[in-house]
Amino acid sequence: MNPSIVPQLVRKDFRLMSRIIVAFSLVSLASIGIFILLHGRIPNSVLVNIAFVLLLGPAATCGIVLLMKTNVFEKEKSTQPFIMSLPVTVKEFTRAKLLVNLPVFTAFWLAVSGVAFYFAFGLGLFPPGAVPFMTMVFLGVFVAYTFILSTSLLFQSIAITVLSITISEMATSAYLWTIVFLEPIQSHVHGPDIVWNPTAIAIVAAQVLAAVSTILATLHIQNRKRDFI
Amino acid sequence: MDLPPAIQCEGITKRYPHFQLRNVDLSFEQGAVMGLVGPNGAGKSTILRMVMGLLGPDAGSVKVLGYSMPEEQIAAKRDIGFIAEDMRLYESETIAFHMDFIKSIFDTWDDGYADTLLRRFDLNKKQKVKGLSHGQRVKATLLLALARRPNLLVFDEPTTGLDPAVRREVLDEMMNALEDETRSILFSSHNTLDVEQISDYITFIYGGRVIESRNKEDFIDGWRRLRLTNMDEKPLPNLPNIKEVQRSGRLCTVTVNDYEESFPRLFPAAGLVVNAIEPLTLEEIFLVAVKSAKANASMELAQ
Repeated sequence: MNPSIVPQLVRKDFRLMSRIIVAFSLVSLASIGIFILLHGRIPNSVLVNIAFVLLLGPAATCGIVLLMKTNVFEKEKSTQPFIMSLPVTVKEFTRAKLLVNLPVFTAFWLAVSGVAFYFAFGLGLFPPGAVPFMTMVFLGVFVAYTFILSTSLLFQSIAITVLSITISEMATSAYLWTIVFLEPIQSHVHGPDIVWNPTAIAIVAAQVLAAVSTILATLHIQNRKRDFI
Repeated sequence: MDLPPAIQCEGITKRYPHFQLRNVDLSFEQGAVMGLVGPNGAGKSTILRMVMGLLGPDAGSVKVLGYSMPEEQIAAKRDIGFIAEDMRLYESETIAFHMDFIKSIFDTWDDGYADTLLRRFDLNKKQKVKGLSHGQRVKATLLLALARRPNLLVFDEPTTGLDPAVRREVLDEMMNALEDETRSILFSSHNTLDVEQISDYITFIYGGRVIESRNKEDFIDGWRRLRLTNMDEKPLPNLPNIKEVQRSGRLCTVTVNDYEESFPRLFPAAGLVVNAIEPLTLEEIFLVAVKSAKANASMELAQ
């Protein structure tokens, strides 16, 4: 009987990353606090821009720092031979890395999305018609993250991961500018009602599919690797 | 019950753009020690990584303790302790962190033995890895590999860069690990003295090929240096096992492999006087074997 050591690997990485996770959680809480303080004291148009930086910044940075430290530096700092000398396959190693990175980023992402949605729509910064577009914006960030996470696992290279971050940023911006000008989206963004028309549903479904298939493809490719050191 | 061999590599081949491991056969029984000797880039680390399932061979098969690698690597690695020269521990963490981590994975972890090794190696488990010297890091890694009581130890250049005192400690602990009769060691080293001291089997690797693999006694006994006087500058007998000839005036030194008692009689018959027959150290054997392999490789290339 050979029980999987994935739980031990996950615990190990959480322990190694605990200080970073706590630090970014505090930064995120502070950002939310600043946002609350600013609300009502500055114009909404300015607040929205500040909010984007304050809320998404710590979450995205935490996600990137975590995947760099757990995936890329494992190879760069030569701790990978130590881990791979243990009873673990490449697939299990990858699963463990996903189980550390995905939940942490997802938690930050959900918290940030929740706060953003609450302020945007609960306090009336944006009209309700912008809900589908806002959903696409936050899902776009998640898809970009899964692409960067996947790249960091597949290549374990600082240069390639940084390149993937740059590509993701540019692609996400280009993608958002494209969909906001799509007539079925644009025509409802400023409207009083939330409209989930077929285009909006298709875009959201494609985003979810892209995120899931990126993760599954990563596992599949890693499973086929015969050389891992 | 017959135990499967500790290592059984048959015809393993691995191709890289600038290097090729060619048709390597390696085998030894459990309870034995095999030392791999070869210059940098010979293929030692590639073989050890295949043994660990970290690289898959392009051709051939690798079995470790009866497990096929890399397919059955999870089961195999439960019984293998691996140390590589380029292996590092987590710098921001303590030795105790690493001990707890390994202990959480291996039921076989021996707390008593781990504490003994901590004392023997003069390590403080509360110390962070980044504060350790190179020698202390190697000892900490050795502790982590040994205290889980594996049946097979695979060490890639374990003594490289160590001062003589730490090298001695590491070698002594490797020897202590062999008190269990079924425990085996496969290790690579540049240091022929280390290999000569603890190996039962010695394998020379050069240019991705095994150029010689035998048990230590046969290895050492098989090589001799003959000091000859060649008064009339007569040609040497044409023998395939002459690996090196050095001439200095009328004196001639011939290094031979697969030495036999009848061998010295061939020289007087050819008009040469045998002045002395000397055994070689492993280092001398290694240097001659590599030189001979280089010459053969050049000839193959020329053809």
